Amino acid sequence: MEAVTQQIPLEHFLVLSAILFSLGVYGVLTRRNAVLILMSIELMLNAASVNMVAFAAYTSPEQFIGIIFAIFIITIAAAEAGLALAIILRIFRYRKTANVDEIDELKW
Amino acid sequence: MLEDLDRIGPVLILMVSAGGILLVDLALHERDRRWLPFGALAGLAAAAIWTVVLILRGREAVVFSGTYSLDSFSIFFNFLFLGVAGLVVLASADHVRRLRYQGEFWTLLLLATTGMMLLAGARDLILIFVALELTSISQYVLAGFLKDDRSSEAGLKYIILGAIASAVILYGMAFLFGISGTTKLVAPEGQASIFALIAQGESGTRAALFAAMVMLGAGFSFKVALVPFQMWVPDVYEAAATPVAAFLSVGSKAAGFAVLLRIFYEGFGPDSFIGSDWSNLFAAFAVVSMTVGNVMALLQTNIKRMLGYSSIAQAGNIAIGVAAIAASGGGVSLGASGVTFFLATYVFTNLGAFFAVIVISQRLGSDAIAGYAGMGRRAPLLAAALAICLVSLTGIPPTAGFVAKLYIFNAAVQSDLVWLVIVGVLNTAVSAYYYLRIVSHMYVSPAPDEGDIVPSPWLAAALLTTSVGVVAIGLVPFPLIKAAERAASALG
Amino acid sequence: MQLLFDNYVAVLLATIIGSILVLSALLASRLLAPFSESRQKRTTYECGMVPIGRVRTQVHIRYYLFAILFLIFDVEAVFLFPWAVTFVDIGPVAFYEMVLFILILGSGLVYAWKKGVLQWK
Repeated sequence: MEAVTQQIPLEHFLVLSAILFSLGVYGVLTRRNAVLILMSIELMLNAASVNMVAFAAYTSPEQFIGIIFAIFIITIAAAEAGLALAIILRIFRYRKTANVDEIDELKW
Repeated sequence: MLEDLDRIGPVLILMVSAGGILLVDLALHERDRRWLPFGALAGLAAAAIWTVVLILRGREAVVFSGTYSLDSFSIFFNFLFLGVAGLVVLASADHVRRLRYQGEFWTLLLLATTGMMLLAGARDLILIFVALELTSISQYVLAGFLKDDRSSEAGLKYIILGAIASAVILYGMAFLFGISGTTKLVAPEGQASIFALIAQGESGTRAALFAAMVMLGAGFSFKVALVPFQMWVPDVYEAAATPVAAFLSVGSKAAGFAVLLRIFYEGFGPDSFIGSDWSNLFAAFAVVSMTVGNVMALLQTNIKRMLGYSSIAQAGNIAIGVAAIAASGGGVSLGASGVTFFLATYVFTNLGAFFAVIVISQRLGSDAIAGYAGMGRRAPLLAAALAICLVSLTGIPPTAGFVAKLYIFNAAVQSDLVWLVIVGVLNTAVSAYYYLRIVSHMYVSPAPDEGDIVPSPWLAAALLTTSVGVVAIGLVPFPLIKAAERAASALG
Repeated sequence: MQLLFDNYVAVLLATIIGSILVLSALLASRLLAPFSESRQKRTTYECGMVPIGRVRTQVHIRYYLFAILFLIFDVEAVFLFPWAVTFVDIGPVAFYEMVLFILILGSGLVYAWKKGVLQWK
């Protein structure tokens, strides 16, 4: 761990996570399929995890708060994805589609 | 350890009763399921009694190494959430009896309440996140609980937008953690905390702090339904079962504002160098939320959608209070107690309106506002209850809504936010049109149908509580105001 | 940069040696094995049934419930690993907390079982 934190500056990880987060936002905004939107959200959550772990390693390596936080993020992201997939399945049974622009019964 | 567990006893009791109901439901026969609401009520009552005992024994303390704080603020919100859940149990008992999954409904309701109670007392980012997700995930399922097409669609919209909001909140939290090296909002003197870091003043962290502030503000604005993060509200309210919509409208709003106060008032601090920034942020949210909410509510023909937009406008009113906190500059803030007090009155008012809608819609079989014509003659008591709540939502005396609006506008004036109050008053005038239109519709228009509408005993009890509450708080507001001020003083 | 890549030298060596081993095995079989071309040789399974249908098949949706159940215990492992290396130092409280955690998850499994999720209908 020592070696990595000395040789790669923190900014690299922050830029990586910012890119991941932006990709996630882009995916959420452009994708039509609900499953792909879900995957993009997963990307955003993982960007936050990368940030947490990187900050933990660089700013407070003797504590594990950031890593614990990342573990909680993983767990809760799994729960959320499981639930969202279940709802998508239900909608697919009614509408035969998982495209969000065709799921438009409720409007304004 | 046991000392700490004692202080989160109310939360634990709710959790145990939620799990208990789920497992007992497995063993029950179909006809015995009607006893389940009593189980839920017993759990809520036990949690309330435990909280009372904690107050009597003077057990207020910060527990679990600074993650949860049992203070007058979290106690106030404990009672508020337990009351909300209790009333919603009363109002949904009939509805749930027709469902296939009854135990699951009660379990989710209790778990969502558990999460809200944890949120109000959380002082650590990790606990805030976990409690927030406990509440949100339960609410996603509740929103999509009906076995139909529209309810599933509402559930999908809610979970996708909610997950995005969670991701944004998390990213903001990561920045907060990065600049402070800790997840604690507040800590005893000498230990690292976000409050201590910000109190030190500007030290090259302004940009990161600003990013974190905007992200947390945006994410939680979704949970409390502030514009421009309100897209899910009307859809979910319209398509979810009405008792669930009632629960979402007050529960998630109160929990969201409670945690906003914790993060911004307690963590960021009102007189820190970032104080004016977040004040402006919430002033902007307040203006657009009130305006968009009220204008869109004017156009609605479905009463549940109208109440959805009305709740967006009300969130704008509450955000005035949040904006007033920082601008007041130190001391016990009228803004914070205003938010707390407004939320308490809003619980009675909005729940009452939704409960009346449950009864009427059940009979009419639709949520169209047109169906409310002549309700004053068909069901005088029911119409009176709905009228009281609508008058209170507008903010006309002698109701709770009037006192709350007065209090929060006064807080804004004290903080030199007169322009915000002017916008608020103009919006109140707009909102009077669509609220009072329904009242006049009920009393002036002729009834298309005849036949009395009688609520079930459960719903009658819930409606009676809310109506009496709205009028009583309107006439004698001071005990509740005192309690709200005591609650807010725990944060400052 | 020197230090950073030190740890990867072993990985690099393993990659190279592994590739050489596999390549030489393939080459040896090519050189040593007798080689005869016939129609039978070209079927998918030389001494099995002729496959029917397309290669790409859809997984039945019923597996979804099993996947969710798996997910519960998969994620549980995320908490179990850090706990396993430290619980001796923390003391009995950590042990009982984890027992409670697993019991809660276990009751979730009981719930799913009673609801008939584990049955293949």
